[in-house]
Amino acid sequence: MAKVIEGNRNEQRTNSRVLDEEIREAVREGLTEIHVVANGQHGIGGRLWGFPEPVTITVEGPVGQRLGGMGIFGTKIIVKGSVSDDVGWLNCGAEIVVLGDAGNGAHNAAAQGKLYVRGSGGARCDTMTKHNPKYDPPQSWYFRDVGDTFAEFKAGGIAVICGVEPRNRNNIIGYRPCVGMVGGVIYFRGPIEGYSESDVRLLELTPQDWQWLKTNMRPFLRAIEREDHYRELTKDAGAWRKLIPLTAREREKTRPFTVSLGEFRKAVWEAGVGAGGIFAEYIDHPGTVLPYITTGQDRRLRPSWNNGKYAPPCEYTCPSGIPTWQRTRLIREGKLSEALELVLAYSPLPASVCGEICAHLCMQGCTRGLIDRPLDTEEFGKASLELSLPERGKPTGKRVAVIGAGPGGLSAAWQLALKGHSVDLYEAEEKIGGKLEYFIPKRRLPRRILSAELGRFRKMGVSVHTGVRVDRERFDEIYASHEAVVVACGAHKPRIPDMKGASDMVPAYDFLRRANTKEAPDLAGKKVVVIGAGNVGMDVAAEAFRLGAAAVTAVDIQEPASFGKEREIAESLGTKVVWPRFVSSWSVKKGKVTFTDRTSVEADHVVISIGDTPLTGFLPEAVHVKKDGWIEADEAGHTTDPKIFAIGDAVSPGLVTHAIGHGRQAALAVDALLTGRPFYRTEPRPVIPFERIKTAYYEVCKAGPVELDAEANRCLSCGVCRDCHMCEAACHYGAISRVEHEDGTYEYVVDDSLCIGCGFCAGVCPCGIWEMEENP
Amino acid sequence: MESAVRLDHNHELTVKDLPYIVVWREDRCKRCGRCTAVCPMSAIEPSVVTRREVSSGEASPAPKVTRKTVVVVRQTTDIERYCTGCGACTLVCPNDAIEPVFNPQHKLLFHKNPGGHPYRRGGRRNDPRESTLDHLKFTRISMLTDPALDAGRHEFRIRTYLGRILPPEEMPFRVKEDKLMLAGGSVRFVPPVREIYPVMIGSMSVGALSPTMWEGLAMGVAYLNEVDHMPVVMASGEGGIPPRLLKSRFIKYFILQIASGYFGWDEIIRAIPDMVDDPCAIEIKYGQGAKPGDGGLLMAEKVTKLISEIRGVPQGVDLPSPPTHQTKYSIEESVAKMIQAMSMAFGFRVPVYPKISGTRTAKAVLNNLLRNPYAGGLSIDGEEGGTGAAYNVSLDKMGHPIASNIRDCYLDLARQGRQNELPLIAAGGVGKKGGLAANAAALIMLGASAVSVGKYMMQAAAGCFGDEMNRCNICNIGRCPRGITTQDPRLYRRLDPEKVAERVVEVFRSLDVELRKIFAPLGRSTELPIGMSDALCADDADIAERLRIGYVC
Repeated sequence: MAKVIEGNRNEQRTNSRVLDEEIREAVREGLTEIHVVANGQHGIGGRLWGFPEPVTITVEGPVGQRLGGMGIFGTKIIVKGSVSDDVGWLNCGAEIVVLGDAGNGAHNAAAQGKLYVRGSGGARCDTMTKHNPKYDPPQSWYFRDVGDTFAEFKAGGIAVICGVEPRNRNNIIGYRPCVGMVGGVIYFRGPIEGYSESDVRLLELTPQDWQWLKTNMRPFLRAIEREDHYRELTKDAGAWRKLIPLTAREREKTRPFTVSLGEFRKAVWEAGVGAGGIFAEYIDHPGTVLPYITTGQDRRLRPSWNNGKYAPPCEYTCPSGIPTWQRTRLIREGKLSEALELVLAYSPLPASVCGEICAHLCMQGCTRGLIDRPLDTEEFGKASLELSLPERGKPTGKRVAVIGAGPGGLSAAWQLALKGHSVDLYEAEEKIGGKLEYFIPKRRLPRRILSAELGRFRKMGVSVHTGVRVDRERFDEIYASHEAVVVACGAHKPRIPDMKGASDMVPAYDFLRRANTKEAPDLAGKKVVVIGAGNVGMDVAAEAFRLGAAAVTAVDIQEPASFGKEREIAESLGTKVVWPRFVSSWSVKKGKVTFTDRTSVEADHVVISIGDTPLTGFLPEAVHVKKDGWIEADEAGHTTDPKIFAIGDAVSPGLVTHAIGHGRQAALAVDALLTGRPFYRTEPRPVIPFERIKTAYYEVCKAGPVELDAEANRCLSCGVCRDCHMCEAACHYGAISRVEHEDGTYEYVVDDSLCIGCGFCAGVCPCGIWEMEENP
Repeated sequence: MESAVRLDHNHELTVKDLPYIVVWREDRCKRCGRCTAVCPMSAIEPSVVTRREVSSGEASPAPKVTRKTVVVVRQTTDIERYCTGCGACTLVCPNDAIEPVFNPQHKLLFHKNPGGHPYRRGGRRNDPRESTLDHLKFTRISMLTDPALDAGRHEFRIRTYLGRILPPEEMPFRVKEDKLMLAGGSVRFVPPVREIYPVMIGSMSVGALSPTMWEGLAMGVAYLNEVDHMPVVMASGEGGIPPRLLKSRFIKYFILQIASGYFGWDEIIRAIPDMVDDPCAIEIKYGQGAKPGDGGLLMAEKVTKLISEIRGVPQGVDLPSPPTHQTKYSIEESVAKMIQAMSMAFGFRVPVYPKISGTRTAKAVLNNLLRNPYAGGLSIDGEEGGTGAAYNVSLDKMGHPIASNIRDCYLDLARQGRQNELPLIAAGGVGKKGGLAANAAALIMLGASAVSVGKYMMQAAAGCFGDEMNRCNICNIGRCPRGITTQDPRLYRRLDPEKVAERVVEVFRSLDVELRKIFAPLGRSTELPIGMSDALCADDADIAERLRIGYVC
């Protein structure tokens, strides 16, 4: 007979501590069956340890929380009705039978033992149950169903939900079960509405599962007095399913995207906005992803073998346009005479100009100057003295007149003759050569050299008419009898400032002209002032010293434009260059030039060298002469009369080489006019930037006697392929190859399917041929 | 032409003057050219140099000279092509042979104005210090005082409201048969309100962003809404919106922006009859935190066919968005007129709110909006926001930090008892150091109803190279090496929109978890802790005092 322990005494509820003590006292006394009439006491039937015999406790009446909490093996508790929360909390082995419903948190943290519930479980049942491998896992059996958030953080143990007469016919394990579940298993029978998919998975029962279930079902049903349901519950394994946790490995492998973005894009996004996405209407490239390194059309940059696209600085800076780079290339190819002869296609006077008097703008531009010193083009000029006459073109029968046999006129006549036209060259003086003959000091241009070259010119077959001063009448005749007229009359009208003493000043060209003749003034011991310190002024100064001057002062209103040899010679002789000074007067009597700042300088002889303008009185009105005195003409000599061309100093003041270049350009334009071809003004090629030339390849050469061969080898071949194969060697992808054409020419080509546009070809090219450009 | 012999290094810079020095390891390099092919600035280039060794190998002096010309990769000192440190070279180098290294002694700002054009760039403020937001921490950890929630287990519903919320007494409710009903008719205008996720993607335009980036973000937003059921919205930025998106159901996840250039709006207006849903909201942009007082300019070369179609402009022309809205001369006129017009465009069904750059005058704007029944909120963009193109001086020196700005505005609302009526949206430097959730939560606790992020998304979703040390930051020139801010298909096709979208989803999922981690100890799982500043403390007493929150140390 069980001992009855009342939870109510004298209409007073027994304190939980007291009831617990009474149960323990009964057990201590050796009782094994105890009946508790509870009244909400906490923890009934728990912690009955330290006793040898199993104890069975039956409970009726309202029970408090944590019935059987911390219960141990050997304790069996049968509750006649429902229980409150946390039944079997931290169960360590007790068997607890609830013949009603269990409240929230049933079997929370249970580690061993069994919980049999005839009714339903509340919310948050089976949380944190675990399985200690030393013992059998805890079992939680629910005959009907369980509430929400079941089995959270379940780490072990078996839960069985039989699904008999569930409260919710659509879901027998409540809302959002198994969050954080890492161990154990849940067998259930009936419909559910989801579970934490990131924690557990849903499976059919295995035969072993089924066997276990059938075996353990019977004692459960017996305990809750529902054995009549055995057949129903065990007739169909297919009615049962189980939830088991993902393994740690599986959890790692869980795809975070149940719907991949690729699937979403096709099935949802593009279904909503249209195939190809929201921008598809506007783009015409494939939708594929590109790598960072691309070839072909997908490269950002592509190389271009721009051989000859840029002008080498020598050619670009030479006003006569002489392509020195071609001469050096021919020399490197062993074609010395060809190399030298080439120059005559550009200038009739290479030895006089290139070889002697030229300022050599080409050398100033030469890239070689970055390494040691520029190529010595003067030597090329000197070597051109003995060149034989080039071949003339087939006679065309066209007649052209050239007025003025200075450098410009000679150049134009030479070029026209080369093209086969009949040229009449008119010269007012007795000799041809213009300023070269009459004004350039002999010291700078030995006349034997000039004579030799003028001799070669005369052999060209140009009809030279010297001593013919062309006036208006004569011009009209010439105009009528020729198909084109090139005016190369130079500038012979000195600009004289309006000041006291101006009428006694000598114009520079008069001075220079006379200096080379018997009319030369005797300047012995005289003090000479040159107004205008340009290159002509420097020539004047040098000649003045030659004629005995004691002192020469060249004054200028600004930093003098003189440079090169002219300035060097004049200064080496003792010329004093002063600037900025504005001359206000010259008193011949006092022998003094006074400046606007009231300072003065002694002056017995004053030469005015501030420029000259052409004498244009002979020209018809159709040719426009600008207000400042020069003839209006473009870089090809075209004037406002289509038949008349004007070049050289008649158009604007310049160097001899400028006049020669202008003459050649005009000849091309005249030739076009005569042959009826359109004259295309070709934009001059842009000069190659210095940084494109890779000077690192070249060793510094010591200065020494100039040999043409050596000079040719010093040439960097700016902008012109030297066929060295560096690009081919540097290309990591083998995208560059050299292709030889039937005519003997070659080019380097790129295989776009291999090239990534890295620019190594451009980076290593010694000559700056390869250029990277935007890939359109 | 300049004479060759005179050329030297006159007026050249040295690499020491530049912000990044390219460290190139000659011994590792195999001269494959991947680095020079990928460099967006052409800051590195292949070249040749001479190596010359003079030695004597004998017992007495016997000179021997060995000379070699070798191929190298060289950094240019041309200021127009200076290395921005993006590191694309490092990314593609197969041999770890090249890397740009920051040069703290650089003199970029002394030189980056050739032609008299001030330095312009994209990116963000070049200020690597921690922002105010990073000095804030969540110090109210409830364990036993409030019901502590478990971020991993509890269900959270992190949502906010966009649009004006009427106070209960102004709601046109009436009681009918013991039931609360909305009064019919035009008793009182009930402003439209949207329930959205409190962190939104900020306004980045089609045009500023590449099509792959924009579509990636948009697709990610759609995924979050339709698969993850997170109502994340994205603001379009000025520059129109693709008609295909306008006419799709996804438009409800987008906030359309109108700014001073009004680009794309004729296209939008014409599309309205074909729209199947309303947009989430309309944002009227008055200012941008990254460049207050500076307008926008989409360079002609970025105005491709795509951009021209969407913006409704001819191809290849510069598209300026002036710093101010033209034809409006006062705050009342400007704000009221624009809000009215934009509300009307969608039949007063769509919330309309202005966005201003952080400023000391924000409260004036706020109080003006408070009086305007159609104003749906105020977005304030702080100085640490990003931009596609701006003057460096605007980026570095103009603007107002968001923390105190939003705080002042919120406290002003609270003083008037109207803090629940007009939502404040905070932006500008959220997640500057990567702490997106913490910064966003801090702003919410300072008083923001929502937080807008732009730059963070570029970094997290597309791996933007930019940082506060002026790395990369060439969003303005159309050569973004990541393909984020370029209209060149060769570059933007580096970006896979699916990958961008996936990252957007990942970012928001993890943001959501982190926000829960922050909100759970507050016992908040459904109500956003807007203005709950007792949960917030600063580790800096001055910041704490200024923000009127606690100081902890």
